[in-house]
Amino acid sequence: MVDTSFNACAPVQISDDDIFTAMREISGYLDITPSDFKELYLKAYQHALSRLTRIVKVKEVMTTRVVSAKIDSSLENVAVLMAENHISGLPVVDGKGKPLGIISERDFLEAMVGKKSAGLMEIIVQCLRGRNCLMAPVRVKSAKDFMTTPVIIVGGADSVDDVSNLFASKRINRAPVVDGEGRMIGIVSRGDLMRASVTGGQE
Amino acid sequence: MNYFEKMKGASQSPPSVSKLEVFLSWLGSFLGIAAIGAMNYIYMGSQENTLMIASFAASAVLLFGAPKSPLAQPRNFVGGHILAAFIGVAFCKTFVTQPALAASLAVSTAIAVMHLTRTLHPPAGATALNAIIGGAKVHQLGFAYPIFPVAVGVFILLAVALIFNNAPKNRRYPEFWL
Repeated sequence: MVDTSFNACAPVQISDDDIFTAMREISGYLDITPSDFKELYLKAYQHALSRLTRIVKVKEVMTTRVVSAKIDSSLENVAVLMAENHISGLPVVDGKGKPLGIISERDFLEAMVGKKSAGLMEIIVQCLRGRNCLMAPVRVKSAKDFMTTPVIIVGGADSVDDVSNLFASKRINRAPVVDGEGRMIGIVSRGDLMRASVTGGQE
Repeated sequence: MNYFEKMKGASQSPPSVSKLEVFLSWLGSFLGIAAIGAMNYIYMGSQENTLMIASFAASAVLLFGAPKSPLAQPRNFVGGHILAAFIGVAFCKTFVTQPALAASLAVSTAIAVMHLTRTLHPPAGATALNAIIGGAKVHQLGFAYPIFPVAVGVFILLAVALIFNNAPKNRRYPEFWL
């Protein structure tokens, strides 16, 4: 099954009228009802999508210029990196380039409010209630203490289809891509996977 | 694509159906033909088989073997048989001394009329032909032929198709009425 949460992969909404009109354009008699054709089309579309995304490897769609943090980076440095590069998350790597964890905007939001699954509006609520810098309590921490572990990694040869399913089941948005020795060779995001699903890997 | 290239074909045969589907096709068509046979026996006796037209067997293939096909729908099944029966009788009466010409014209005209009325039903071609080659008994019926045995047999088979094809979970009939 293809993950339906990837809306970009959903087939064009084809109507019975569209099919009726198309059948008219084909001159001969077609021995199928428009509704059977529609069912066939939707099923075939899912198979095509699954086939294309199974062929495409993560290696082909990942981002290779990865912005990453070191384990001893200060949280402020991490925040600056994310802000300057306009990214919503980054991997934390050790000295050998092995990914150890992920820090995302969500981690900051949660740290500010002090609970899981906090959203921007909760931060705003806290601000409106007159607290100052909500980030103050966590300012001292380094990347190592702050990152989400264990990190979910994927291999470069993994298929886009498999990784899409992994993202959906683990509810993650990005994962470091590693080589045989576990060193990071890139990062793949939900956006990368979506583009691959839409284009079938052909840019 | 040139003329001879077209003859090679371009696609493949669709996949086989499930064993359950095979069994349902078998059972449905058995019941359908049996129903016509039973009616024939009750009303005509064992010496007559006026109600049992060969083209009903072909309809059974569609109604029970391919019930999703547009060709198998009530509009096509009922409309096709009755129109074709009329056309068959008309050509039979027009070309009494040239049965081969009557037969060819009846079948081809039936197909054309079925196309124009969106009632294409392949077995009905045989219903038109039967009006000419069906022998003295059919000839005697004249323009009653489209009503009896054609329409009567058609409605028996349609009733069985409605009752039978909607019983299994994975089957439904019809796809549309008109």
